[in-house]
Amino acid sequence: MNRTTTSSIITITDLTKDFGETRALRAVNLTVTRGEVVVLLGLSGSGKSTLLRHIDGLEMPTEGDVTVLGQSVRSLRPTALRSLRGRVAMIFQQFELVPSLTVVENVLTGALARVRGPRLGLSTWPKNLKQEALTHLDRVGLLHRAYNRADQLSGGQQQRVAIARALMQNPEVLLADEPVASLDPESSDVVMNLIREIAAERGLTVVCSLHQVDLALGWSDRIVGLRHGEVVLDTPTTGLSRDRAMEIYGHVSVSTSEFAAIESELSVAGAVGAGS
Amino acid sequence: MTATAVDTHPEDARQAEVRRPRISTNKIIASILLVAMTGFAIWSLTRIDFSPHNFQLSVQNLQKTIAQMDPISFPSTPDLVYLISVTLGVVIAGTVVAAVISIPVAYLAASNTTPARWTRIIGRAIGVITRAVPDVILAMAVSLMFALGATWPGVIAIGFHSIGMISKLFADAVEQIDEGPRIAIRAAGGSKPQEFWSGVFPQVFPSWVATALHRFDINLRGSVILGYAGVGGLGYRMNLDFQRFPEGFGPALGIAIVIFLLCVVTEIIASTIRVMLLGATPTRRTLGETMMRRLRRGSRPRDVVADTLAQADLTVEKAMHRPWSRGRISTTAWAWVGVLVVIGGFVMSRLDPKQITWKYVWSTMQSFWPPSLGSYDVGTYVTAIEQTLQIAFAAALLTFVFSLIFGPLAARNVAPNRWVRNVSRVFLVIFRGVPELVLAIVLIIITGLGPEAGVLALAFGGIGLLGKLIADSFEEVNAGPEQAVRATGAGRLQVFSSATLPQGLPSLLGNTLYLLDTNIRSATVLGIVGAGGIGYYLTLAAGLTATHPIVTAIIAMVIVMVLVVEGLSNYLRRVFK
Repeated sequence: MNRTTTSSIITITDLTKDFGETRALRAVNLTVTRGEVVVLLGLSGSGKSTLLRHIDGLEMPTEGDVTVLGQSVRSLRPTALRSLRGRVAMIFQQFELVPSLTVVENVLTGALARVRGPRLGLSTWPKNLKQEALTHLDRVGLLHRAYNRADQLSGGQQQRVAIARALMQNPEVLLADEPVASLDPESSDVVMNLIREIAAERGLTVVCSLHQVDLALGWSDRIVGLRHGEVVLDTPTTGLSRDRAMEIYGHVSVSTSEFAAIESELSVAGAVGAGS
Repeated sequence: MTATAVDTHPEDARQAEVRRPRISTNKIIASILLVAMTGFAIWSLTRIDFSPHNFQLSVQNLQKTIAQMDPISFPSTPDLVYLISVTLGVVIAGTVVAAVISIPVAYLAASNTTPARWTRIIGRAIGVITRAVPDVILAMAVSLMFALGATWPGVIAIGFHSIGMISKLFADAVEQIDEGPRIAIRAAGGSKPQEFWSGVFPQVFPSWVATALHRFDINLRGSVILGYAGVGGLGYRMNLDFQRFPEGFGPALGIAIVIFLLCVVTEIIASTIRVMLLGATPTRRTLGETMMRRLRRGSRPRDVVADTLAQADLTVEKAMHRPWSRGRISTTAWAWVGVLVVIGGFVMSRLDPKQITWKYVWSTMQSFWPPSLGSYDVGTYVTAIEQTLQIAFAAALLTFVFSLIFGPLAARNVAPNRWVRNVSRVFLVIFRGVPELVLAIVLIIITGLGPEAGVLALAFGGIGLLGKLIADSFEEVNAGPEQAVRATGAGRLQVFSSATLPQGLPSLLGNTLYLLDTNIRSATVLGIVGAGGIGYYLTLAAGLTATHPIVTAIIAMVIVMVLVVEGLSNYLRRVFK
């Protein structure tokens, strides 16, 4: 890859993805360097989730290529793909914990790539991994809930368990797909801060999709805007103070530029998100 | 939502024109099919001889038998304990074997776990074939491989036959899981087996246990007929007693009563395990569930606080030990009860490898191929299948009519008052409690009636099932429309016909078709005890190695028959959803 630099962790080249007749992504190019915290902004259906799923090797490109940690996902054999997924952690909008398992068992599922064969029940896990899982739970402040069933926790707590599960992978990259879209504002802050802190502690590269502009501005190093599967904005967040951003909104909202279009769509998305 | 014609807008007429949906071709075909099936059921019912004369004859038979038989008696206590333990053991062992085999079968059959299209077909095919082979026929057919009186045929037959239902319901549960957690495990680098055991199985475990327990209940009810295949236990003893005409009928009825009581007791135990182990809400579906519901009324839900660790000075080291909260103690204890029951079942089933006659194993298996019609002509089989279908359809119709009376009356939102509802519920529970095969055997043998007794027995047991399902589905309808109709000033019957019934119709249809499906399988088995139909020919052919090719041919016919009815049912369900 000619565009790959030594510090680049994710390199996406002319990525196009079709689901049947629908084109979810069109010729997306994106390079993310080590330690960067990137936010993908866009409406639902704009291709944010699909893009994230490609980075974790959960989807294969229709055209183009996705290189993560120096490996092209297309060329990987199943075992290598699984070990790559192990190095890239992902957290989801709906947390996706197994409801009937305990919290600590859910965290341990993050270590499945590190063990051989299936695991069922807490006693089937080695002691050191269990200890590690509890340490991560302690980090997210939920050690005392280790033996509750996952579905006994509130949404915000479940998302923190999901973060602990991600930590259990000892990841180099952390992907987050609308991590706070199902949470109340207070829990949202807790979760977003936690992700940012952990990213700093571990020097993680983070790609996070969001639809709230305000949240993205205060949080990320860089913002990538997606619309109808195309990258329509890619700019560093530094120097983009909230006032500046609002100014840009005000300035472009009267014009017909693409940014205005996203901005209006984003505010619609925010309203829809708040309503649902 | 449904467009109710309350619009008084001037454009009313035009809107009505726009909104009226075109009746699809599928709806027309399905309606014709439904009318044809109802017509066949009515015709079947008229063919069954319920004339006063025939009825009088059977009452005379009944009186004569009762006059001549020994008084109803029970085996001596040690005998009774032995018989019950063998029956329970065979049923438990068979059901457990089937439940375990059902996991890989369901893995193949579920669309979201199966590795490829063709593996899914294999999984589904295993389910269909195992369900179509009646357990008693299999028991008869394999009995040659084992020493006389061995319990192997019973365990094998139950284990084989039950795979069909358990794997189907389990695969359905697997298809209905939340895919999210599984994707999360895949995203973390989990392999396919890890995805299944960490992401899928914990979600479907309760349904797996519940299905196995449900199947255990069905198997116990059906186990009496295994006695006709020489499998030891209560059914065998009952069969022996019935053969001593007419004195033996008293002791045989005694065994029937024991089986009935055994069904009630084990059902209560099974419900207790289900509720205590899985924390499931009792559903009132059966006697045991009703009892559990009463017992647990007012008891607190599982304690969340007890599993939470004290936060003060909590360290990772301290958190390594999971506290023995009340919930954990109870779950662990009931899990051990479950394990002990399973082990006890295998012990009681008295399976002994020495009883396998190895030299006959291969030749017996070979004897089923190639299939052949034997000395009968095709017409004989067609008539026999027709008779089996008649029994099933006639019984379904009777059940349907009576369930439509009892079912709604047992539904909270339809019954005029609590009293009527409770009485109806109790009726349904009693109907359901009587094992229909036992009832059928008793009716057929004592009254001398053939298909008539079969129809009555199936219809009787069916009311308990269908009535209950109707009551539940009516209670589960959306209460909104009911309130809306009530708010317009409609009476009780009007609310029922305008709001409750229209919403409950799809599940009413689905449940009736399900009943028809189980009736066809039961009607096949009833042939064995003398109700006629295809089961009769199966019984004749299963006993001898020389006629085993006929068994294969008849099984193939039964599979086709079951598949056709199942296909029609699925089609109807889809169209009238």
